[in-house]
Amino acid sequence: MNGIVDTIKDVLKETDLVLGWTTDPVTGMATPARFHDGKEAEQAVFDSTCVHNLAVHLPRLKDSRVGIVAKGCDARSVVELIIEHEARREQLTVIGVGCGSLLDVKKIWRRYGYGVAIEDRGDSLLIGGEQVSRGEFVQRKCHGCLEADPDIYDVIAGEVGGEIPADMAQSHPLYGMFASLTPVERRAFWREQFSRCIRCYACREACPMCFCRDVCIMQTQVPRWAGGAVDAKQSEMIQLIRVNHLAGRCTGCGECERACPVGIPLMLLLDEQNRAIEEMFAYSAGASLKARPPMLVFDVNKDIWGKG
Amino acid sequence: MSGGDIKLVGFLCNWCSYAGADMAGTSRMAQPAEMRIVRLPCTGRINPLLVLKAFQEGADGVLVSGCHPGDCHYNEGNYYARRRLELLSRMMAVYGIEPERFRYTWISASEGARWAETVTSFTETVRPLGRLNLAGSGAEDDGRDQGPASGSRSPAAERQGT
Repeated sequence: MNGIVDTIKDVLKETDLVLGWTTDPVTGMATPARFHDGKEAEQAVFDSTCVHNLAVHLPRLKDSRVGIVAKGCDARSVVELIIEHEARREQLTVIGVGCGSLLDVKKIWRRYGYGVAIEDRGDSLLIGGEQVSRGEFVQRKCHGCLEADPDIYDVIAGEVGGEIPADMAQSHPLYGMFASLTPVERRAFWREQFSRCIRCYACREACPMCFCRDVCIMQTQVPRWAGGAVDAKQSEMIQLIRVNHLAGRCTGCGECERACPVGIPLMLLLDEQNRAIEEMFAYSAGASLKARPPMLVFDVNKDIWGKG
Repeated sequence: MSGGDIKLVGFLCNWCSYAGADMAGTSRMAQPAEMRIVRLPCTGRINPLLVLKAFQEGADGVLVSGCHPGDCHYNEGNYYARRRLELLSRMMAVYGIEPERFRYTWISASEGARWAETVTSFTETVRPLGRLNLAGSGAEDDGRDQGPASGSRSPAAERQGT
């Protein structure tokens, strides 16, 4: 079993580039990087600030032989992209890494000051010399974690086989609050949330499954699904478009919510939809390479909802 | 019959339900007047976003109706539709729309009486719920673009503390 740098160097012998992380010289935290040769790969890191889902780059690298460092959640996106023909299995080398939940660096910095040093000690964190418990500063997307280790991989870097921590197995407390609201209260909830949207489209850009790119109907003039105004109504339509287009595709990686600069809890919508799809079709996106997307097929005998 | 307090939109398939509604009309069956009907080639053409857009633009209830499963003019259009519509109906409450405001049914060309019955019961279900007023589309401005929604923060937002 090799470390991340040696593994990437090995993989680079057979691939054109490897998607991974390096240390950002300004912040000292992990940032996505592309490694093309062994020299570049010396800079590779993997730690609990490697929050990004690198699968988002795969649709645009379809013609290259690509290595990708993938956590459990990222590997689900890779699987779903292969199912959707947006990545080719034979062109891919998946470098699996074990993940023991990711840190919300921005949250730590807001509390303890920008740029403060963070040391990950497993159950606890050492933030600027102060020992604090980890739970509060874990990424929101890590709550309700489905897989700590990748399902598909070609090589493994570092340690895998970690268990999902008990407090991560449950969904975020916000979900319980949302579940207790009536539809009328939820209307007010979403109106307030979407009124903060600045229409940066970061949710779409960070999403591995939003691969329509230039033909996304969020921005087409004809038909004009969403108007040009930056307001709650148009932002709501943008999210309705996203949610509906991700039916049976969303692997629940939580990148849209993490990327949102104003902190709209987008995964509330997608998690509920994923749950409904699981209930209706016993389908979980990204769980199996052999699966067929549920909205593209039907089953005359099993689809028996509705009256008459 | 007042037809003014709520607005309903019906998306009907050309081959069965639209003909069924037509039959209800030519047979002079009494029906509430709140329903506006949009004719589509098949329920398989119905993008769930059409329904949601209708709600955004001021509809207070949306009814989708097509051929019975197995009777689709295009053989399988309503099988795909059934999956989408069922998922949509389960998601309504998450979007903040009372699930009763959305219904999908299968009505054939010969079931005029059933259409009249369906549209009556649907109207009676939605009427007590009143206007929908979905995000940003105030009841007063009737769903037209009016710039950013203003006003005080919602109780839900206060509780969440964002």
